[in-house]
Amino acid sequence: MTEFNPTILAFCCNWCSYAGADLAGVSRLQMPPNVHVVRVMCSASVKPEYIFKSLVQGIDGVLVLGCHIGDCHYLTGNHRTAKRVPIAQKLLDDVGVDSRRVKLDWVSAAEGEKFQQVITEFVDEIKGLGPNPMRGVRL
Amino acid sequence: MQRVVVIGGGIAGIQASLDLADAGFEVHLVEKSPSIGGHMAQLDKTFPTNDCSMCILSPKMINCADHERIKLHTYSEVESVTGEFPKFKVKIKEKARYIDLERCTGCEDCVAKCPVKVPSEFEAGLAVRKAVYLPFPQAVPRKVTIDADHCRMIKEKKCGVCKKVCKAGAVDYEQKDTTIELNASAVVVATGFDLMDASSVLQYGLGHCKDVVTSLQLERILCASGPSSGHLARPSDGSEPKRLAFVQCVGSRDAKWHEYCSSVCCMYATKESILAREHVPDIESTIFYMDMRATGKGFQEFVSRAKSAYGVRYIRARPSSVQPGEGGKGVLVSYETRGPAGEPVTEEFDLLVLCPALVPSRGTAELAKLLNIKLDSDSFVRTSGLLRPIDSPRKGVLACGFASGPMDIPDSVSQASAVAARVAELLAQGSG
Amino acid sequence: MARIGVFICHCGHNIASAVDVEAVLAYAKTLPGVVFAGHNIYSCSQEGLSSIKSSIKEHQLDRVVVAACTPRTHEPLFRKACEQAGINKYLFEFVNIREHVSWIHAKEPVAATEKAKKLVAMGVAKAALLQPQTEGEAAVTPVAVVLGGGLAGLTAASSLAGQGIETHLIEKSERLGGLLRDVSVIGPEGELAKPLLDDMISRLTRSKHGHIHLKSTVKGISGFVGNFELTFVEGCDEKKIKAGAIIVATGANEFTPVGDYGFGSVPAVVTQLELERRLAKGDVAGDVVFIQCVGCRQPGREYCSRICCNVSLKNALRLLTLSPGSAVTIIHRDIMSSGTAAERVYKEASETGVRFVRYGLERPPKVSAEGDGAVVEVFDETLDETIELDAGLVVLATPLVSPPDSEETGKLLKVPRDKHGFFLEAHVKLRPNEFATDGVFVCGSARWPVSARECIYQGLAAAAKASIPIREGKVVSEAITAYADVDKCAACGNCVLTCPYDAIEIIQVKGKLAAKVNEAVCKGCGSCVAACPNDAMQQKGFTTQQLGAMIDALVKGALEGAQ
Repeated sequence: MTEFNPTILAFCCNWCSYAGADLAGVSRLQMPPNVHVVRVMCSASVKPEYIFKSLVQGIDGVLVLGCHIGDCHYLTGNHRTAKRVPIAQKLLDDVGVDSRRVKLDWVSAAEGEKFQQVITEFVDEIKGLGPNPMRGVRL
Repeated sequence: MQRVVVIGGGIAGIQASLDLADAGFEVHLVEKSPSIGGHMAQLDKTFPTNDCSMCILSPKMINCADHERIKLHTYSEVESVTGEFPKFKVKIKEKARYIDLERCTGCEDCVAKCPVKVPSEFEAGLAVRKAVYLPFPQAVPRKVTIDADHCRMIKEKKCGVCKKVCKAGAVDYEQKDTTIELNASAVVVATGFDLMDASSVLQYGLGHCKDVVTSLQLERILCASGPSSGHLARPSDGSEPKRLAFVQCVGSRDAKWHEYCSSVCCMYATKESILAREHVPDIESTIFYMDMRATGKGFQEFVSRAKSAYGVRYIRARPSSVQPGEGGKGVLVSYETRGPAGEPVTEEFDLLVLCPALVPSRGTAELAKLLNIKLDSDSFVRTSGLLRPIDSPRKGVLACGFASGPMDIPDSVSQASAVAARVAELLAQGSG
Repeated sequence: MARIGVFICHCGHNIASAVDVEAVLAYAKTLPGVVFAGHNIYSCSQEGLSSIKSSIKEHQLDRVVVAACTPRTHEPLFRKACEQAGINKYLFEFVNIREHVSWIHAKEPVAATEKAKKLVAMGVAKAALLQPQTEGEAAVTPVAVVLGGGLAGLTAASSLAGQGIETHLIEKSERLGGLLRDVSVIGPEGELAKPLLDDMISRLTRSKHGHIHLKSTVKGISGFVGNFELTFVEGCDEKKIKAGAIIVATGANEFTPVGDYGFGSVPAVVTQLELERRLAKGDVAGDVVFIQCVGCRQPGREYCSRICCNVSLKNALRLLTLSPGSAVTIIHRDIMSSGTAAERVYKEASETGVRFVRYGLERPPKVSAEGDGAVVEVFDETLDETIELDAGLVVLATPLVSPPDSEETGKLLKVPRDKHGFFLEAHVKLRPNEFATDGVFVCGSARWPVSARECIYQGLAAAAKASIPIREGKVVSEAITAYADVDKCAACGNCVLTCPYDAIEIIQVKGKLAAKVNEAVCKGCGSCVAACPNDAMQQKGFTTQQLGAMIDALVKGALEGAQ
């Protein structure tokens, strides 16, 4: 049996976490190749529907990364993210999807190493959970 | 619109031009070689992030060419600057490049057919170019130039191949130098540096040991678009070096040559050691240094990473001599270990890299003369003391970047941006 | 159907060393809507850009996807190329396969190539749904604000005022001049600090465009480039200023080495600034030992503070001038006298009789009290033995450190700081005095420890950068604002509550109540999009359809990859 190689989506805000991801690149910090970054302007623009849609279609894990609380480029956007993502996680648990497949974290523009660490740990965690049971299921 | 002439198209001149133009001035950027870009274009990566040099420079070069308020005069030199602030008269000689820039498409069909080979300046002599040439692929403007000193048609009226193959009809062997005259409110000197000729420091073997190169040559060797496509090979036999050494302060911090410190060599040697390791995973690098000057942002961490993650060995010693290794391959470096019990040691390396003093670029003295400004005791452009770090004593003539003393890229960029503020200030005061 | 062109960049070997560009290229050609795919060694070169432009024309492309480096540095360049080739610049999509692929998966070429394919597929899926946009324009308040009245801030403010730009200098203490107030002579060339500061301050006070606010603390900063609003307390009064640009020049502090080398317990042990104060009064005699790199270049605070060696060299020479017979020793790990003038001072110090002793981090010197003075015991690496030095005064050269309130400044401005607390510029090489946030600039030791000379030219650089939007008179805002689909909107008002800028209101539109976004106020965060239960709120360039298509493309790519 081949090793489980998860497919993970990461929403990164333009100002902090996307810049942190770039810094990780510039610093040549190596990490597992499972995470695919989608750039959004603010983590607060990540609709819970994106998370549901991803998981329903078989994506193994979804990361939402924003600026640290207090650093949001749009004043209070990440406060909303901080509330919205846990609600989405609760809804997932309610319908029987393991909410550990969704993770919210903060990575600043100066934290290339943190980005590497978040990615590496999340990939490990998802590997531990195994493939998303919805993968390949036609609804 | 007020006009400013910027002399020198390296990163300092480019940044000064962009900021001046963005601040509303009309800028004429004069560069003596066929393309802007300067030494930064030759670098593979930049310390301490190992960002690709061309990748970050190229957008700025293109912005210069596209900016509606910047006029490029490449392959040109300033001939005279008369008058006083804010009414200078500047004569610019646009050297004949024997190519109609309007017509040339940069297709390089002529280059392919030109029979004359000349050592490439851009490749630091490690590769050849033709007599008609594009200095490097990302050149701005992307137009060829005929080097009259080597072109057979221009010298001997024999050849003419480039004209035959040019479908755009851009070749013109009869082209003459032209001189244009401009009024300008201010003049900016950003003429940068050159490497001193390290072969004159005889004990280090450049020129008589095959496997001794300069740091700029190594930069080209490491570069993916360089003469060996990024494959690290030593000159004597093309083999991959496993033992690499750098000698710092070649001709600098040395009363016999240049007493000053060139400011950037400790860091670029560290960078090149790391890059060499990325090319050849089992390479061992040694840096012979006097003081490890890692004073910029992230520099000390960079040196630590070179030691811990890349195994770079730093030895505080000034080698006394370099001899060719057996069969002319590799080098034998003699130095003294430190401490009172220090004893002479000779170590063998596959490739030796010299980090020569960086000196004011050729022509700085002549330019200073025609600008009527002074040089300091190290032959860099003298500025007006602490309060006016980028003003020359002649009002309206400013200097930025390496032309006024050794500094790294961010300092050159800061000084170049500072020019725009000073010019605006001087002119605001000038107008009351 | 869109006609999409995909361009894959080799970036020399930067991308091509880990990503099989040919394979990604072949894959891109199979993607829906792609009518052309090409590759360039350097897409950002003039050659690369002209090949993109000519392909747009030749293949009548109406959408362009470039897979290369990061949009944060290179997007403007490619957007411009699109515009030059006649297509709206918002019909361009950037895929990052360097920072996010080749550089972080350098040793996994197969996986890196697969990931690059998926990212390209996602980019193409989004590109197919992009719409042309027009940009908003806003006027710029022709006022600059400088935070910090040390040398860097003073330079920036007096230059801006000298250029005729209304400039407010906000200083938290009751005096201008910062650290330089405690310094009498500036190295390496020996200029006097006071006349220099006086000159600069008088130029600022004389200028009708300069406004100085002492004892002032910033409480709040809102707005964006061109239209900032600062709230600050001056003395006891709360004031507000509108500004087009802000310069951060909040400086650094001398590190206080409590407990190191007897500092605090041995009276003869002082810091460099204390020595400066004593030298100004001529109040130093006897033998002096300097210890360099106290509290830096060691684990925990790894950086070199750049200026301390030069300060010690300068003061060692001043001490010898003051009392020619005394013994002056500098205990160091490397002498950091880069450049021309500083190296000359180093040489002069060596020739004048300053003794240099090199120590290693593993064997630091020991300082103990002896009478009114102290004894310094150090292992001299050059002599290879331990020596003892008697000293009337031991001067600890400590680093400049970020002041505690810079965290607050960073938060107010939403600009990042590095791990040492110094402000993090937009690009370490080419944008040293800018932040990634438009309209906010940085200079002096707030960014990194610098000499007086460097403070001055960085202050000028920040002034130049801040003057540009003010001279331009307008800023163009990216077309990433939100809009409401009136037909879907149920006027629930969630978006109104969510918007941090009060940019949305519920009004009568087309005969019904619906949300309406004020584009001049919207900053494009997209928070309202996430809050809308009816999918009526959308953000230009980040619509729910576009992001949905990216998810679909990743799912499809993952399933293909699994087979």
